[in-house]
Amino acid sequence: MSYKVIDVAGDVGIRAEGKTLNECFINSALALYSLITELNQVEQVEIREVELSEETLEELIIGFLNELIFIFDTYGFIGSKINLEIENNKLKAKIYGEKFNPEKHERKLLVKAATYHNLILKKENDHWITEIIFDI
Amino acid sequence: MPKIEGTIRLDPYRIKVPKGFVSGMRTDGIIFVDETLEQELELDSVRQVANVATLPGIVGNSLAMPDIHTGYGFAIGGVAAFDVEEGIISPGGVGYDINCGVRLLRSNFTKEEVEPKIRELVDLLYAYIPSGVGSTGKIKLSAKDSEEVVTKGALWAVQNGYGEAEDLQAIESNGCLEGANPDLISKKAYERGRDQLGTLGSGNHFLEVQYVDEVYEPKIAEKMGLFKGQITVMIHSGSRGFGHQICDDYVKVMIQAARKYGIELPDKELACAPFKSQEGQQYFSAMKGAANYAWANRQCLMHWTREVFLRLFKITPKDLGMRVVFDVAHNIAKEEFHIVNGKRKKLIIHRKGATRAFPKGHPELPDIYKEIGQPVIIPGDMGRVSFVLVGEEKAMKETFGSTCHGAGRLLSRHQAIKQARGRSIKQEMAERGIIVKAAGKETLAEEMPDAYKDVSNVVDVVHNAGIARKVVRLRPIGVIKG
Repeated sequence: MSYKVIDVAGDVGIRAEGKTLNECFINSALALYSLITELNQVEQVEIREVELSEETLEELIIGFLNELIFIFDTYGFIGSKINLEIENNKLKAKIYGEKFNPEKHERKLLVKAATYHNLILKKENDHWITEIIFDI
Repeated sequence: MPKIEGTIRLDPYRIKVPKGFVSGMRTDGIIFVDETLEQELELDSVRQVANVATLPGIVGNSLAMPDIHTGYGFAIGGVAAFDVEEGIISPGGVGYDINCGVRLLRSNFTKEEVEPKIRELVDLLYAYIPSGVGSTGKIKLSAKDSEEVVTKGALWAVQNGYGEAEDLQAIESNGCLEGANPDLISKKAYERGRDQLGTLGSGNHFLEVQYVDEVYEPKIAEKMGLFKGQITVMIHSGSRGFGHQICDDYVKVMIQAARKYGIELPDKELACAPFKSQEGQQYFSAMKGAANYAWANRQCLMHWTREVFLRLFKITPKDLGMRVVFDVAHNIAKEEFHIVNGKRKKLIIHRKGATRAFPKGHPELPDIYKEIGQPVIIPGDMGRVSFVLVGEEKAMKETFGSTCHGAGRLLSRHQAIKQARGRSIKQEMAERGIIVKAAGKETLAEEMPDAYKDVSNVVDVVHNAGIARKVVRLRPIGVIKG
């Protein structure tokens, strides 16, 4: 697994990595979902598509994660597998998952938003790394 | 030696973060902490107080209350005033949970009357009040309803059968900020908020059944309808996904706006626009809509609380006597008049994790509190105590009529879960005489008392500094959490 939860006072952060930018984005999204529930309980029975275009990659990753938070908070949809393409700060993603059911899925954190606070998104030794702090 | 190098102790209750602590500061920062709480200061949060001091049009000092901890952009516990002509407005100075706040209800019951039924009461409250991740409310808002919630706030709830008209008198700004334009709120925010009105949320939000265990100011307490041994209910919630979406939408707008107006940002979460600019005014209007949604939300939560008490104890509303003591916002920006260098000035006050604390005689107070000052509701953690304070004149001079908002976290959520491993927090709480029920599996560990500073220490600082006075102390006997 190429992501982990990191410690911050008050809120919660994640660190995700990937061999490619796409992989790094995917892992950051899975990390977000893992904060909300236990990922192995989420079946892939429904597909949601997200398309997004921003001025910078930083804005793109925050925009993408906030879109996933919106979709969860509004429609109860939670994913456990993601396919995604990024080109010229444009992102197209397919998210496979299902509707959250408190009787089946563990309730973990209610994530309000992904923030720019201490945001990291960088390439290091052929690896993409991101750190994102969420408002809980 | 100061805990944070470069800060200077001014008196027993305040330290200064001098200009130059970070580059570009236009004014000093002032943090209200005594020597004990100073030891818990984080460098990041002090830097955030300093960063706010770099923003254009800041008036007075960049302030922080004793429950300060690191936020995003602005510190939690921060108060900052900006000139309405030359200053800025920032969504980061309000927070994602716009008008997160606290409402306190009084009752005619005593602790002895309620305690024998506390388990049933907690179960019933939990059944009536939707809470936790993935929960939706009992109210489904139509497009027209949503717009009315935005413009009317708590009044919308009263008009739709949730509570009584007299409840509105004891809410900050009567539960409605004027000037919320429904057209400035995104479709996404409306969608997200459609079925979340009347839900508690999760995290640090809660509903507590408490009793008054100490009265410090008997005359003021009496005016608030409070007496020793009495049952009270405290509700802590905000504008839910509706407010989070509005904040998210406008952080995006403000990042663009800051570029456009050439405002240098030491941190992107400080994204802002001149208050008088189109972007500034649009955010302010949308923020008011979210604030109004939050007041409607707490009004609905209170209505169901009353219903639960009436149903369980089979008494009349008159005998129950459940009235609002007060309802305060602790994440909000408001236009207020303050005296600056001897002149009355209109300012835009940001309170992020800080509570308004107006003294007696202030024109914005409801008649019932004109003679004593505004009640300030300060929740503690679920195992210790909470407080009711009253605003003091000194707050107008030193903190733009503001005080603290709660205990402030001590441990990260992760650390709390680690420390709670192998323990049953539910059992530990029961041993202290507190019955808790939470939706999330890890909520109790994250929210355990050890995860927070002792609110008594926080309140002592604002009391001793003279910006708000202790009136009563409340102790929980039943808690529901998300």
